[in-house]
Amino acid sequence: MSATKGEHKRLLNGPLTDGLPSIVAAAHELKSPLALIRQLSLMLEDDSSSKEEQRRMLRQISLTSESALRLTNDLTRSVKLTDAMFSLEPINPQQLCEDIVHELTPLFSEHGRHVRFAPRKKQLLLVANRDLLRRIIMNFSENALHYSECENPVEIKIGLLNSGKTVRLGVRDFGPALASDALNAIGGRLASAPTTIYARPQSSGLGLYIASQFADVMNGKIGVTRHHDGSTFYVDLQASRQMSLL
Amino acid sequence: MSHSVLIVEDDKWLAEQYERVLSKAGIKTTVTAHALAAIHALDEIHQDAIILDILLTGNTAFTLMHELQSYGDTGNIPIIICTNLASDLNIEDFEPYGVKRILDKTKMVPDDIVIAIKSVLL
Repeated sequence: MSATKGEHKRLLNGPLTDGLPSIVAAAHELKSPLALIRQLSLMLEDDSSSKEEQRRMLRQISLTSESALRLTNDLTRSVKLTDAMFSLEPINPQQLCEDIVHELTPLFSEHGRHVRFAPRKKQLLLVANRDLLRRIIMNFSENALHYSECENPVEIKIGLLNSGKTVRLGVRDFGPALASDALNAIGGRLASAPTTIYARPQSSGLGLYIASQFADVMNGKIGVTRHHDGSTFYVDLQASRQMSLL
Repeated sequence: MSHSVLIVEDDKWLAEQYERVLSKAGIKTTVTAHALAAIHALDEIHQDAIILDILLTGNTAFTLMHELQSYGDTGNIPIIICTNLASDLNIEDFEPYGVKRILDKTKMVPDDIVIAIKSVLL
């Protein structure tokens, strides 16, 4: 089935109203990792690098590929969201966050950085789709890795809001301060299309756009809190009623 | 005499790649991830050339280029832009800022950066 001229235009330029992210934004986001992989591969063809250098370059190629593949997987998922195939279930976010930290530690270590989870004393349960929630937090964490400027570890936190009705999962970074209207941008324009975030121009906002779509499917929302030395990107989700049984 | 080049690139691994190639060519490098750090680096050590990404975290390359043009000593440092946006840029628009070359990250080969640096220094 071929797309009409109007459909092509919407796909290429955005903003979109049918939940499909802009192809231009996707292409932009994938340029950087592909360019890096190409540079490193060409360098590896030159035999003059030491074995240690070659190993490091191969590791960087592998980790960069994995990041790019995560984005393409998220894109695929975001297009299929309309199928409403994502079941919601009570999830222990603590275990999920620990798994994410474990998975991202090699990427952070290779950058000479740290990611950690700040555990809560009391266990929580929230209602979400495990895979979509995992992808949101992974996305926030990778953004934090890219934009944090100092050596402080990126921290994943869990909090309780609205008298225990809402669970907030946040990722604290130490990047450039966001503009005061960043929250509006995320809450408003991101609902329909990727939006570049002020002071973080290398990002087309595609990752946040996808995260907002994923949160929406789970009856949640994403947002950002500004700090003097960075930001906390968060997702708010409904707490599970089963929590009272814990 | 060995030349010194400032690399302003917020992709740590790409900056490392530039360093790797340039050091093999006998060129000293300093890496900064954003515009403000680049200004500080230029205050400390004279640089013979600057390799500059356009989309930096925080202030963009345009802010940095304006700042560099404000001072006689930094205004004369040749700049080589390395960007994914090369196809959207016109070198003539950037020449007033001391930009001598624009390299396309998606098409360049590793040695292109050495060739570009040598072309503006020798």
